[in-house]
Amino acid sequence: MTTDARDTTPTVRDFEGRIGRLLIGLTYIAVAFVVVGVGLMVASGIGPLDGGPSIDPGKLVADLGSLEPAAFLWLGFAIVLVTPITRVTVAGIAYARQGQWSMVLVSVGIVVVIALGVGISLSTER
Amino acid sequence: VVVGLLMVAGGVAAGLFGSLLGLGGGVLIVPLLTLGFGLPLHQAVGVSLVCVIMTSSAASGVYLERHLVNLRLGMTLELFTAIGALIGGSIAFLLEERVLEALFAAILAYVAVTMLIGGRASPADAETPPADAATSLAAATSGEPGAGDRLSGEGYRVGHLGLGLVGSTGAGVASALFGIGGGIIKVPVMNLAMGVPLRVATATSNLMIGITASASALIYLARGEIDPYLAGPTAIGVFLGATLGSRISHRVDARILRLLFVGILAYTAVQMLIKALG
Repeated sequence: MTTDARDTTPTVRDFEGRIGRLLIGLTYIAVAFVVVGVGLMVASGIGPLDGGPSIDPGKLVADLGSLEPAAFLWLGFAIVLVTPITRVTVAGIAYARQGQWSMVLVSVGIVVVIALGVGISLSTER
Repeated sequence: VVVGLLMVAGGVAAGLFGSLLGLGGGVLIVPLLTLGFGLPLHQAVGVSLVCVIMTSSAASGVYLERHLVNLRLGMTLELFTAIGALIGGSIAFLLEERVLEALFAAILAYVAVTMLIGGRASPADAETPPADAATSLAAATSGEPGAGDRLSGEGYRVGHLGLGLVGSTGAGVASALFGIGGGIIKVPVMNLAMGVPLRVATATSNLMIGITASASALIYLARGEIDPYLAGPTAIGVFLGATLGSRISHRVDARILRLLFVGILAYTAVQMLIKALG
């Protein structure tokens, strides 16, 4: 059974509110990492036009430990980039619990298309 | 340090204008980085996309808490903006930079004209649901619901879903090519073609910008076109500007601001075209 099209039930409103708070929270965490990264850039005498390193997930934790500015910036940007995808995933799970399978399909479709885009980019880059 | 401060200041201006005028700010960030700092267009687009997602996530979080977003409609259209972004992201790296700059100049001119025309319309009229909303709602609640009905919201019925899907795909292509959120396409399509009230269309578009720009940004990231040292100061500036904008929006005369913005866009479009023509 699916719920009515006009989602005004307390459950749906609560769920929208939770997603809203998730988006705001993740954004502020991301901004905090970017601010620290920029602060470390200034402290290290690095300019915006100096050319930053590419993201290297394998070295991220070690670079964070050694206070590398790029590591904090990349962590912040990674959170920025995954925030909307997290929102879609959380909404998809909530829709699955409500039995709204067409919306679950839409959620899965979005994630698949994004993954496809990254996969194609990585393969053509090589 | 001076360059960094200039980038933060430029980001603040882009975020402030974007927030006050309901845009993501990408239409200003890309010209700022290409014309102001001489960066290649692809790099500027990559940075702009990160900034656009940051402001969109924060703003749409607030819209969701206030229940202004039509989440089902937004997610359905997002699937198509993501497909558009995938297409745009693939085309972006095949086109010559000059072609992209010329197309960007055209987009800027389009935004300027749209804002000029939009400024003349009464906001009260725009925010009112369509006149036949009650009739449409009655139709929506009787019999078997269609796809548009299932996506309708309180007091309005979503129509012309096909047009919305095409518009969303176009917005995704534009986002990946030019580093913009695509709201300038999505809001008129939802409001004028699909019958979604302007306030809901703006909030839903804002939410969709996150996925549209994320799909594009991940393609740019995979191709190594996002520079963290460039993106850091600009993103902070844009975030500060957007936050400031949301706090002072009620004190600012939007008409004067809109005219000023149209002037800036027109000037930027000419500069971008001159650059494209070499």
